Amino acid sequence: MPHPLRKPSPPWMRRTLQTLVGLLALSLTSAFAQQPTAPALSGHGSYLGVHAKQASQQTADHSKFKILQGPFKDGDGSAVTRACLTCHTRAAEQVMATQHWLWRIPEKGLEGYGKSTNLVNNFCISTIGGNTASCARCHAGYGYKDKTFDFTRAENVDCLVCHDTTGDYEKENEGLPNPAVPLADVAQKVGRPSLRNCGVCHFFGGGADATKHGDLDDTILTAPRTEDVHMSKQGAGMYCVDCHVAPSHQVGGPDYVIPADRREQPKYAGEETSRMSCTACHSNTPHDSYILNRHYQKVACQTCHIPAFARGKLGSNLWWDWSTSGRLKDGKPYKEEDANGFEIYNSMHGEMTWGRNVTPTYVWYNGNMKFTRLTDTLPATRPVVLNPTEGSYGDPNAKIWPFKFHEGNQPYDPVLNHLIAPYTAGPAGSGAYWGDWKWEPAIKMGMATAGLPYSGKYDFVRTTMLWPITHMVAPKEDALKCTECHAKKGRLEAVPGFYLIGRDRGTGVDFIGIAVIILTILGVGIHGVTRYLHGRH
Amino acid sequence: MRRIVLYEKFERFWHWAQALIILTMMLTGFEIRGLLPHIFGFQRAVTVHNILAVSLVTLIVFAIFWHVTTGEWRQYIPTRKFLGEMVGFYLTGIFKGAPHPVKKHRMAKLNPLQRLAYLGFKVMIIPVQVTTGALFYYYPNLQHAFGWSPSVLWVIAVVHVLGAFGLVAFLFGHVYLTTTGHTPTTNIKAMLVGWEDIPDDEYFDEAE
Repeated sequence: MPHPLRKPSPPWMRRTLQTLVGLLALSLTSAFAQQPTAPALSGHGSYLGVHAKQASQQTADHSKFKILQGPFKDGDGSAVTRACLTCHTRAAEQVMATQHWLWRIPEKGLEGYGKSTNLVNNFCISTIGGNTASCARCHAGYGYKDKTFDFTRAENVDCLVCHDTTGDYEKENEGLPNPAVPLADVAQKVGRPSLRNCGVCHFFGGGADATKHGDLDDTILTAPRTEDVHMSKQGAGMYCVDCHVAPSHQVGGPDYVIPADRREQPKYAGEETSRMSCTACHSNTPHDSYILNRHYQKVACQTCHIPAFARGKLGSNLWWDWSTSGRLKDGKPYKEEDANGFEIYNSMHGEMTWGRNVTPTYVWYNGNMKFTRLTDTLPATRPVVLNPTEGSYGDPNAKIWPFKFHEGNQPYDPVLNHLIAPYTAGPAGSGAYWGDWKWEPAIKMGMATAGLPYSGKYDFVRTTMLWPITHMVAPKEDALKCTECHAKKGRLEAVPGFYLIGRDRGTGVDFIGIAVIILTILGVGIHGVTRYLHGRH
Repeated sequence: MRRIVLYEKFERFWHWAQALIILTMMLTGFEIRGLLPHIFGFQRAVTVHNILAVSLVTLIVFAIFWHVTTGEWRQYIPTRKFLGEMVGFYLTGIFKGAPHPVKKHRMAKLNPLQRLAYLGFKVMIIPVQVTTGALFYYYPNLQHAFGWSPSVLWVIAVVHVLGAFGLVAFLFGHVYLTTTGHTPTTNIKAMLVGWEDIPDDEYFDEAE
């Protein structure tokens, strides 16, 4: 029976309501579809075919050039370079303007940055105090043994280390070719640099495979896709120079300063630009989820997509204690390995620890990093942070970045408050540390070689460094899950300056809230029980 | 007995849709906070929470439209009339079987306490939750655009969480009080079917 007070709604209102309900349903479904679509990726997929095509498109077959027939004198790399320069007349000039050759940054504000100058780290410490000849095995030149090296001599440029495709090329002290290298054969088969060319040096930073970077070691050459989606042949099969584009021999690289986001766009159509930022290929909205894409504002891609570094079979160095070096057994240096085969002691270097599958350290980082030089006065804080990073939540350019945290204990001058470059390599009786196992003469010699003051006193100081992690990108299914960070004891536990949902949960707030709920339940409970006991509704 | 229609179709749809949305937002919200075991999984909980937030706001926009066009908004005008009697009824009268002090009418279906509670719910708790939720969601953008301090986010979060606890408490009180009708299920049934059979002495006529 219709109630007289219930007036049927007028038809216009019914229609309006039906429309509104329809709109509600629409808004619900479109909320699911609110994700922006990522732009189509170009050049993605297998680069193996790309490389084969690049090789087949070359217009010159170097084996046909008379000048490359040789014969070249064993170990005479400069002779090959002279041959190269007869056609590639400007190549040496280009190389000689790069960091690969100069080992320093000629730009203003970065004086003293680079291996050929006063830069210091807590691995091998420094290359200018001594042992330069051995360090120069990774110099893109011939004959670098001390500071008398002529950085203007074109024939000292080493073309082959980057352009060898045979794998037979090998450099020795002072960067000279191993006399056993068949130079003519190597010269006739030159090509575009592959992983191996860059890897012979960059996989071996810190003196041995995997030691320094943590995200670069020679397991990448045979890596499964899970270790590195880009460089693995099961993955994209890319070479370093596919991202570190190298127009005019200027290989794209961080030059000690890595902008947290470097979206290199060509300045003009067709300009070859470095693709060192992920977004250069993947765009800054690569996920299906809007929320995940938004993380880009504050979180580097690497943070989620590189869950651990040193994911190959090799360990990366995490702690290097020079103060414990020089122990001898029967007057002779020795080495010790742990059960994993990691070298935990070497008389030459001291005690070390190594790690595989290491969780990175996360730090706000806007791309600015200061480095410590042998000429810099050390701060009073201990341990000394050798390369402090810049950035915070409030900094619009800063993101949370993954780093390899490296600790060391190395000699310094407690009077001048400077770090020290000891003279390491040399035979017994030379005064070099690895000859006589005495710090004092080695330091005196090293600082004299470097041309730097030394008070005559030395001690050891704890130092730390942060090495940005950006290679060894994992397949997307291995990327971090939300609760790796959005949790009380998550990976970002110690990253300061902001409220992180899931991590920052004030127990006081929860206490108040739960108390209010319990009091409410108690209240209605007592009320209900009383009603029940009175037998009323 | 009179059968009177208390809740129109849209009103019931609005009530139950809102209830479902808020319940699910409680589950997902407290899972995101880490107070509940993983029901949805963090990522899905966040997605569901955000989609429901948009849905809730949309629903509320329609509800406001409905309240305005039907004049039903007048039901929520607070009144002091019978307020003391209502408090007394819940504190003592209800145990003695005293009659409900406020008679129902189609256009006055809410007692003074309900009016206060629901008005507070509509103009306080929900707006606070919606505002703090939106501020939280867009915080990185707002922080950059207006140069806000990075340390304010936690304040927004705390207010949002306290509001959420308040909603849970409201839910318990609300559900309990539905049992204080004629029979324990009378009120819930009315919200489901729309009408309630009311004894003549508990209803006041237009003419009165």
